[in-house]
Amino acid sequence: MPEPGLIRDYLAALSAQLPAEIVEELADGLDQARQHHLGRGLHPDAAACAAVAEFGEPQVIVAAFARASPARRAARTLLAAGPVAGGCWGAALIASRAWNWPVPLPARVLFGVILITIISLLAAAAVGRRYRAVRRAGAAGCLGIAALDAAMLTAVLLAGPVLIWPVILAATVSAARLTFTARTLRPVLTR
Amino acid sequence: MRGEELKGHLDALLLAALEDGPRHGYAVMEALRQATGGRLDLPTGTIYPALRRLEEAGLIAGSWSVVAGRRRRDYRLTAAGLRALSGKRADWRDFAATVSAALEGRPCPNPA
Repeated sequence: MPEPGLIRDYLAALSAQLPAEIVEELADGLDQARQHHLGRGLHPDAAACAAVAEFGEPQVIVAAFARASPARRAARTLLAAGPVAGGCWGAALIASRAWNWPVPLPARVLFGVILITIISLLAAAAVGRRYRAVRRAGAAGCLGIAALDAAMLTAVLLAGPVLIWPVILAATVSAARLTFTARTLRPVLTR
Repeated sequence: MRGEELKGHLDALLLAALEDGPRHGYAVMEALRQATGGRLDLPTGTIYPALRRLEEAGLIAGSWSVVAGRRRRDYRLTAAGLRALSGKRADWRDFAATVSAALEGRPCPNPA
């Protein structure tokens, strides 16, 4: 029996916002719901209508997938850990008298802009309701944090002789975060 | 019983629905409806993200098959899922006994 237009439209609304694999699973469930209602003696159009009503609004399903997505969990973890890492690096920079470093103003401003962009991406992934937007923002935020941690660790390695305990602590926190991000990135990018 | 009232308990319900063997998403929902006498009022579509989340946590494992030309994803409980279900059941019994004791003015059966 061909899929009624109502179910096709419903699946099209889901396809616009969810990965094909998820939509395939939902399509199978929706078909079974329709068969169930047909078995109860409903007219095919009424069975399709009942199946769609049973599944719920597409936006509700998309939002539920966004809430359960690895990108959202990774973004929330990184945002929660952010103040700890930021505090450690702040203490390290103060202890190293970073204001005396010969870093040009545009480079300082660029660093600030990059940091704010990464935090904004993670915040968007942490609260967004659109699955694809959450996944994109989460992936970009994770990659940004990883790049930032890698850059800070590289800078510490290059500055080896001036290592002091606040710097070592901050570098350890960054290394731990880098490990977490590397482990999380695969599910964030693929699911 | 609506979704908001199930907050915090949905995972246990889904794990329990898979205890008797592998099921696909719609069959999980049907099993829950049967087990609760149809009192569960949850949009079926929202079961699927919860199943994916449990799969990612390693509590259930999903696998694809083809049935009547359509791909179907079945889920089964893992050993970790079985342990989690057992823990959630014990937590629920404790919670239910405590709340019942408070609401009905009876002494708590197992005071901490």
